[in-house]
Amino acid sequence: MREAIVIENLTRYYDGFLALDNLSLKIEENEDVALLGPNGAGKTTAIKILCGLLRPSSGTAYIDGINVVQERELALSKVGAIVETPEFYPYLTPEETLSYLGKLGGIRGRELKSRIEEAIKLVRLEGWAKVKIEKFSRGMKQRLAMAQALLHDPPILILDEPALGLDPRGMVEVREIFKEARKEKTVFFASHLLTEVAQVCDKVAIIDHGRLRAYDSVALLKRKYRSLERAYLKLTEAAI
Amino acid sequence: MSEFEKLRIITKYEFLKHLRRRRLYAVIGIVIAVALSILVGLPAFSVDYPDDITAMAGMLSISATLASIGAVFFAGDAIAGEFEGKTGYILFLRPVRRTTLVIGKYLACYAAVALIILLGYGIVCVSLLGIYGQIPIEVGTSFVLCLLFAGSVLSLTFFFSSISKGTMGATVMTLAFIMLISGTIDGVLMIADQPSWFLLSRAGDAIIVVYPGFKAIMMAGMGIGMPAGAIEYDIGLCAAAMATYLVICFFLSIFFMRRREML
Repeated sequence: MREAIVIENLTRYYDGFLALDNLSLKIEENEDVALLGPNGAGKTTAIKILCGLLRPSSGTAYIDGINVVQERELALSKVGAIVETPEFYPYLTPEETLSYLGKLGGIRGRELKSRIEEAIKLVRLEGWAKVKIEKFSRGMKQRLAMAQALLHDPPILILDEPALGLDPRGMVEVREIFKEARKEKTVFFASHLLTEVAQVCDKVAIIDHGRLRAYDSVALLKRKYRSLERAYLKLTEAAI
Repeated sequence: MSEFEKLRIITKYEFLKHLRRRRLYAVIGIVIAVALSILVGLPAFSVDYPDDITAMAGMLSISATLASIGAVFFAGDAIAGEFEGKTGYILFLRPVRRTTLVIGKYLACYAAVALIILLGYGIVCVSLLGIYGQIPIEVGTSFVLCLLFAGSVLSLTFFFSSISKGTMGATVMTLAFIMLISGTIDGVLMIADQPSWFLLSRAGDAIIVVYPGFKAIMMAGMGIGMPAGAIEYDIGLCAAAMATYLVICFFLSIFFMRRREML
């Protein structure tokens, strides 16, 4: 099977602070992998490097065989992503926003129109498609973030805590959208919510202090540590 | 898809953003208000319009010059806003070069400012035709210089926007640079009878100094004791200074934007 995402010895410093320490991971095509770790473990840093938003201090990463550091634009054409809690231009509507982003992704004409309709329907924003985003709640913006990530039907989804800041209903809704959308896609998903991870992903990479502590299937980790929660607590106890 | 096609898309949607923002209409309102205050204000105080058409053209052109300064408010958030407002988490994930993004944003800002300048000079032309029945050739020169000045102000704002954490910082730094730093140094150099054409504030004066009648009003207003060189402007040098700011600051903004990370 092909490798969709390869992370090789990624290291990143922020003014002397080591945020990511020689992280290496390989994610195969159509796998759903969660990057699990406490706050400040280095999850977002790893995802930002994968999405070309940060440069690594050393090491490199590949998306579908394309070096993200050297060929950022080409690598990004294969990816749909949500990083942190993104914001949108308040003066535009979801339709206009998705049209803008879709066109930049190379989708045109009727195809773009139908993709926008599909994405808006998937995230249940049909009634809000022509309303300026300035009127949107956090949850609606997060659903729109899902729509923009899925718009160009990318083979790889990279999601950084997509349910962050949402109320319980919003979290369930985003999880449902995500379950529907992930079919036949590789998903790399950062979270610190164990229930979310257990429901959505096949494999888990647990990181702490920027280092990889474990990388295995959810089932295997549950067997080895009796539960995912115990595995998490045991492997990240240095942080407590 | 070619980068040129992406540039076209970015410019179109960035321009749409400007059209949707209140600040565009606020600057248009200011330009119209300033022009009206001259056109209505002089007769209201029983003051005749100047006999010299170029003096009147110079006074009216001030409103359009304000549009150039208004460029600061369009461009302040062009780059810094993407980082500060977190919209970069959406835009920078597209397969587009940062250079293309900066150029597209610049062109959209420039189009918005040029639209207001065009409106300002439209008012100048219609007013002069209505009052004097003619339009002096200097209006064309002033218009071109105003477009050039707007371009240089935009570039300077883009530069500050590319290195500032926030929109407010970029806007304040640009205004401080043009009005306080550049303006103060200009004043000192004028008193010392030294050339100051290389300062953006001084170069910008060329927009209204091209009108001989208005220049005469400026000379009278400056009073006795000011060195002769203070009111001598080499329009070519001023234009060259503006073009230099435009090019250097624009390339610097691309340089810094390409290196900037979404921390």
